[in-house]
Amino acid sequence: MRTGLFCVLLCWFVPAFAATPSLSELAESSRWQALLHINPGATLRDKHQSYVDDDTFFFADSGKADPLAELEATEQALRAAQSPARCRFPARYRFLSEQLGWQDEAPFSHCDDYNEWRDAIHANRAVLVFPAAYLNSPSSMFGHTLLRLDQGEDSAVWLSWAVNFGAVSSEADNSFFYIYRGLAGGYPGRFALVPYVQKIQEYSHMENRDMWEYTLDLDQSEIDWLIDHLWELKDINFDYYFFDENCSFRLLELVEVARPGSELLSELRFAEVPVNTVRALDERDIISSRHYRPSKSVELDNLRKQLDGSQQKMARALADNPDLAESPAFMAEPEATRAIMAAVAYRYIRLAHRKEERTPEVAKKSFALLTLMNSLPAAPVPKTENPEPPEKGHGTQMLGVSGGQREGELDFGELTYRLTYHDLLDNQYGFLRGAQIEGLDMTLRSTESGQVKLEELDVVSIRSLAPRNRFMKPLSWYVEGGLERAWAGRRRLVRYIQGGAGGSWLWENWQPYLLTSVRMENNSEFGTFLTPGAGLDAGILYHRGDWQWQLGSVGHYFTNDEYRSSSQFAVQWAMTRQHGLRASLERENRRGGYDDEFKLQWRWYYD
Amino acid sequence: MKKTLIAAALLGASTSAMAVAPGGPGCGWGNMLFEGKSGMPMHLLATLVNGTTGNATFGMTTGTNGCDTSGALTYSGQSLLGMTGVMEEVAQDMATGDGEALTALSVSMGIQTEDRARFNALMHENFATIFPNQDVTAAEVMASITDVMKQDQALSKYLA
Repeated sequence: MRTGLFCVLLCWFVPAFAATPSLSELAESSRWQALLHINPGATLRDKHQSYVDDDTFFFADSGKADPLAELEATEQALRAAQSPARCRFPARYRFLSEQLGWQDEAPFSHCDDYNEWRDAIHANRAVLVFPAAYLNSPSSMFGHTLLRLDQGEDSAVWLSWAVNFGAVSSEADNSFFYIYRGLAGGYPGRFALVPYVQKIQEYSHMENRDMWEYTLDLDQSEIDWLIDHLWELKDINFDYYFFDENCSFRLLELVEVARPGSELLSELRFAEVPVNTVRALDERDIISSRHYRPSKSVELDNLRKQLDGSQQKMARALADNPDLAESPAFMAEPEATRAIMAAVAYRYIRLAHRKEERTPEVAKKSFALLTLMNSLPAAPVPKTENPEPPEKGHGTQMLGVSGGQREGELDFGELTYRLTYHDLLDNQYGFLRGAQIEGLDMTLRSTESGQVKLEELDVVSIRSLAPRNRFMKPLSWYVEGGLERAWAGRRRLVRYIQGGAGGSWLWENWQPYLLTSVRMENNSEFGTFLTPGAGLDAGILYHRGDWQWQLGSVGHYFTNDEYRSSSQFAVQWAMTRQHGLRASLERENRRGGYDDEFKLQWRWYYD
Repeated sequence: MKKTLIAAALLGASTSAMAVAPGGPGCGWGNMLFEGKSGMPMHLLATLVNGTTGNATFGMTTGTNGCDTSGALTYSGQSLLGMTGVMEEVAQDMATGDGEALTALSVSMGIQTEDRARFNALMHENFATIFPNQDVTAAEVMASITDVMKQDQALSKYLA
């Protein structure tokens, strides 16, 4: 009984003590640290300091590096009723008032701008949006992430807000300058709040990127924290670094504000790839559901595939001349087929001209096709069967071990590390088809005599093989550069950059490609510092189940009359999501001879 | 009546602004079926930086990167139909009788869930009246939608 009473008393008193923690305790709390964007060790830069790079975000002069000083100064600034500072920092106010027991019925009654804004952003659901990889832009190659704030109904996401973190650049900057400054941290990054419909237009329509939408398991209170804090970040500058402190990284910080202690940033996050943001949230069970939004070109493809070859041809002709809708051939088709053909023609013409100025001619044709669609039954877009979620794909880093034999030389063993991210033979589940992006791919080779030598170092290798069809005619291209072994009297390490463009097609599981190729090589045996060469890069890919095959050749003729080519036959078996076995047979041709090499490689994907 | 006013504002029914170019010059990009201005350089740059160009937006009535703000309301100042590409999407949904753009329109007009099927069907039936040609403006479209709804028993209440 006495113990019971003691317990009751204790339970009375403990919360009473806990209700007024000291400021130094509060300064250490995960919510305060999150509100200040203190780096818990996720990047080496600015460790235990705030990522915010803007004096207006701090009350204390030492606020960036001293959470306690900032807390004390904030407490001073927000304590007074009607304090203007409350209107700028509603989340900080909420934190202090809850922790210190401040009583104020209407703490923001004097904050007109904030109240107006807050009413407009009355979201009750937060969704992480991942527009898939877009190879034609360096900053979107790995995809992008943004946050969507929904106001209620599932079906009305067009009225939702998108929270986007990006670099703020001026229009005058050209892209090369951007890339440099983006990498080096020369741009300030800011949060922006834009209508989600603009983002759909941008990604799904203009850039033909599929979008994945992940509903976050945050309750109303957590979402309110997030929105209130968002207001505190209005016009606040962060540094923007392409590799780590990018769009994805900053969104994790926002989620950390909504749910402190979720430890999203507790591990070192170098080269934050957007898909890993999705994984980080998924692993902590913060994702409750997933929705796939196909791009406009995927929708066109799904519609088109319902038609046979001659019907597709007719739909294509209809887009050029909508009057064909009156022709006997068109009228001979069943009504449902005519509806699909009209929808295909309309969608095609909109897609084909999406990046051009409006012309009266295209507008007239488009409108005629729209009217035709209206006169026929609706032709719903068939759903993409089993779309592959990007976060279920293989890990972004790779370690490989291989053994092989080279003609005329001893057996060899190799160790390979790749920082990022995917090549055409890797397990393609969850990745964009025909897209290869490799950054920092290094292979060391050791022969039986024990020497370890650098076999190759790909600094970057990007390949976009986008299939062409009757409707869409994308260009395929590639660019790569680094160090590799090539023949010049003997096998030597040469420095090179090469790239090219051409076309690719898709028939069932076969994807042939043909590209022109130019190469600049720095080779100590060549007379000139840089020796240009030109040639072709062609081959065919075949995919079936867990097996991916490639037969390809690339060859160059150099200005110093050297000639070199390499042909490869390779197959990879995706044993599991994170493990692959690859076999390759390669023949390197040169003027007056050739070498064959066989290699078997085990590839382990992680992170 | 209030809802209609809101919807009219959403749709950017200020004729002067809409007749020129939905969204206004410098807002958005791409070839629009109805009207618009191409802004590819802007778009390319926005893509490159994964973000915003020039003045960043924060859902505020001012500084919305050159987009039309005369309509007030939704998205705190930008008109829905005035946004690049939206009118085109609405037209496509009306032609077929369903779609996200049409839903967004009906939600913004305050039409209750149980009446949305009726709204969609009505818009579909009257597509030719609402979109008589490719040079129609957002203001004209909004006026026609209101006219069509007035004639309908179930939907006229949303105009009252």
